Amino acid sequence: MTVNLSSSTPVSDSMQPKTTYASLGNTMWSEIKNDKMALYSLILLTAILVTVYTGSFLLDLEKINRIDLYNIYAKPSTDNWLGTDYGGRDILGTLIIGAKNSITIGVVITLISGLIGLTVGLISGYFGGIIDNVIMRIIDFIIILPFLMIIIVLITVVPVFNVPVFITMLSIFLWTGKARLIRSKTLAESELDYVNASKTLGTPNWKIIVFEVLPNLSSIIIVNLTLTLAGNIGIETGLTYLGFGLPESVPSLGTLVSYASNPDVIQHNWWVWLPASLLILVIMLCINFIGQALKRAADARQRLS
Amino acid sequence: MSLLKVNDLKVHYPILGGFFHTVIDHVRAVDGVSFELRPGETYGLVGESGCGKTTIGRAIIGLNKATSGEINFNGTDLTQLSRGQRRQYTKDIQMIFQDPYSSLNARKRVLDIVAEPIRNFERLSSEEERKRVQFVIERVGLNPEIIYKYPHEFSGGQRQRIGIARALMLNPKLIIADEPVSALDVSVQAQVLNFMQDIQKEFNLTYLFISHDLGIIRHMCDRMGIMYRGRFVEEGTSEDIYNEPQHIYTKRLIAAIPELETANRKEKTHIRNQIAEEYRQTKHQFFDKDGRVFSLKKISDTHSVAMQ
Amino acid sequence: MLKFLLRRTLIMIPQLFILSVLIFLLAKSMPGDALTGQIGPQIDAERLIELREKAGLNDPWHEQYARWIGNVIQGDFGKSAIYQQKVTNLIGDRLGNTLLLSASILLVSYLIAIPLGIIAGRWTDSWVDKLIVWYNYLAFATPLFVFALIILFIFGFTLQWFPIGGSVDIQADKGTMDYVLSKTEHLVLPTMAGSLLATFGTIQYLRNEIIDTKIKDFVKTARSKGVPERKVYSQHIFRNSLLPIAAFLGYEITGLIGGSIFLESIFSYPGLGQLFLSSISSRDFSVVNILVLISGSAAIVGTMLSDLILSWVDPRIRVD
Repeated sequence: MTVNLSSSTPVSDSMQPKTTYASLGNTMWSEIKNDKMALYSLILLTAILVTVYTGSFLLDLEKINRIDLYNIYAKPSTDNWLGTDYGGRDILGTLIIGAKNSITIGVVITLISGLIGLTVGLISGYFGGIIDNVIMRIIDFIIILPFLMIIIVLITVVPVFNVPVFITMLSIFLWTGKARLIRSKTLAESELDYVNASKTLGTPNWKIIVFEVLPNLSSIIIVNLTLTLAGNIGIETGLTYLGFGLPESVPSLGTLVSYASNPDVIQHNWWVWLPASLLILVIMLCINFIGQALKRAADARQRLS
Repeated sequence: MSLLKVNDLKVHYPILGGFFHTVIDHVRAVDGVSFELRPGETYGLVGESGCGKTTIGRAIIGLNKATSGEINFNGTDLTQLSRGQRRQYTKDIQMIFQDPYSSLNARKRVLDIVAEPIRNFERLSSEEERKRVQFVIERVGLNPEIIYKYPHEFSGGQRQRIGIARALMLNPKLIIADEPVSALDVSVQAQVLNFMQDIQKEFNLTYLFISHDLGIIRHMCDRMGIMYRGRFVEEGTSEDIYNEPQHIYTKRLIAAIPELETANRKEKTHIRNQIAEEYRQTKHQFFDKDGRVFSLKKISDTHSVAMQ
Repeated sequence: MLKFLLRRTLIMIPQLFILSVLIFLLAKSMPGDALTGQIGPQIDAERLIELREKAGLNDPWHEQYARWIGNVIQGDFGKSAIYQQKVTNLIGDRLGNTLLLSASILLVSYLIAIPLGIIAGRWTDSWVDKLIVWYNYLAFATPLFVFALIILFIFGFTLQWFPIGGSVDIQADKGTMDYVLSKTEHLVLPTMAGSLLATFGTIQYLRNEIIDTKIKDFVKTARSKGVPERKVYSQHIFRNSLLPIAAFLGYEITGLIGGSIFLESIFSYPGLGQLFLSSISSRDFSVVNILVLISGSAAIVGTMLSDLILSWVDPRIRVD
């Protein structure tokens, strides 16, 4: 599986294959290939992503947002493949824009909270002692908080509410789990002799953290980011569903689902909310199946391939 | 003139307990140890696991903090230096680790592993750097073309050589070798040990050699200290220790060396029983009522024993 | 053990304190105050300023906080500005409903998860196990609100098997059998939606635990001595796995609260979650504060209880 580089001639720097990184990628890929569900998920997810992003690029936003009162709650037809909503707007168009927003925002939240969690976890685990103690107490506390309620309160209270504010608020709460995970892994790595060796070689702590410990956590980080991405999309669409998520001007998949809180819509106009619900479900399932396969790749004991 | 002089070194770890997690006692990992290393010699630290020998090595290189005592290197007390000041001594003192698997970062190429120390202290072009690395890699008996490989492609012995190459990059004066061969197959151990002796001459190195294996210590060391529960029980040259052991603990350790000649085994068992008997009778001369070892007393120019 | 118990309980106090301060400060940053709701034609602006001064709303925040928390501790949760009645009364019935729903979700999810977890662990890699693992992936990945809506759509609206909202038929009288039946009937859909997804943790924990113990030496020994397979499992599983599962309950409280907000909103179930959403929408912040405080305190206390139970089951955890 690993590329064995037993060259007998000196090779120039530029030609160096990055063996272990390639092998991490390789194991992940072979794990996905060996898990049919993960493979189909990957294909399906790619198809969704391509459709959503090219679609939203090609779509005429103004046309989608144009209210057409003669055409409200129209059933799916050749004109509107997925029918129209209460304003006579095309559901398919909103679905594509909504999916784009939900996925993009999910990714951004995952990356920001991931970065915070990673930094805090690395520092806490590497240095230990009082810093670690204080950080862990704070994390314990944040994790207990009734997250959903507090987010909703914050969203109602904040004077200016827009997408960046929404992302920041969620990121402030969502880094803790990752920080805990990274901290425990860092703690284990820091006890290994290669870290001690770096210390005795005069390498500064920040360099040890970034260039020695971090690469050894890469597979765990990738797995965790994948799995939390799914969760974060769920949280965003869920909040939007309740009416405390993305502002109306930025439709999300949750916006379409929230039309279902009207009993009439849920019963008679399934095309308004059901496609978005199913799309959320499919996206989250796909990401999770891929994530589970990656998890097995990261943990040699569980590998299928 | 000694290269390294350790004076009454103590490394204590607090034991937390009680309701408020306060310090209730200390583990005395190293409890008042003094010895010195002369340039070019190999000094052995021997003892069972947990006796504090590794802690001494780690305190000298700065991985553990000394609770009290002095570590004089070329006349400077390392324990008094700040992290920053200490960094310049990093070049002079290096370490070889016990486990050749965990001591090399699996995600880095040999080139990056071995070049790490010079990247910290020197600015070299990648071409110069590669030449330096390849030079040292060749010295430790490996093919200079392997520098683009990853650690998992090597055997334990080869990995230990890579670790040694890394330690040699900064031209250190003192190398602390913490059980450098105990993780290796017996067939490879001798190779690595002999090779360590070769580079000692070539690079003019002083070794602090830490091991639990008396056979290896005898093969490698000029002088040695026998440790028990954080203290020295006996110190002397190889001849002193192996031919005229004075402390009962040393005697028992030596008696415990396995006998390879089957013909001599009966005799060996007899000696062991004899020493066990001697231990029962003379214990009080060597350990106080708490089981603590007494302080060292000189019995000849080179030989000291901890007894009453 | 006693020392651990005491220390763990002591940690709770600063946690509760910080939580209450946070909530109070959040409340202070909210638009309006306790008197805003009373603004009406009969009260003029001058009178309002006077009332504010009298109610102590111009005092430094820490004094106001002390007064508020003092009242809360004594059970005086203040008045709702919208409903014009005591918060305690508002919470009363709804608290019962929420507890009932949560208990029913937990119970059903354990009833599903424990047998499935044991089966999956005992017959690893069989087709049943694969099916269960599959279901578990689905349970983990499916967002609650989507699942709940689909359940409501299918069983509530399309098949019309169960009521689509409320907690009880308004015509049923308290104390009658009809009342109990109606309550149960109204519980079915939200419980179904909540519990089918809540099985994830338990199934995974049990399955892993059993697979791990399978290869442990004492189990091999027991087996080689001829202890029947069933006994090997029942003894060790009951001793080592079921109690921790019960103990995890305390950690679930935060999740249950979040879940109840979605479930109660989707199934129009009159509980605390729904009260929270409606109070937030009508900016009735004195109610909101109390609800957040209750939920947060429940989570803090629940976590502490879980910690204690787990440390009792497994003494290694105690060394914090």
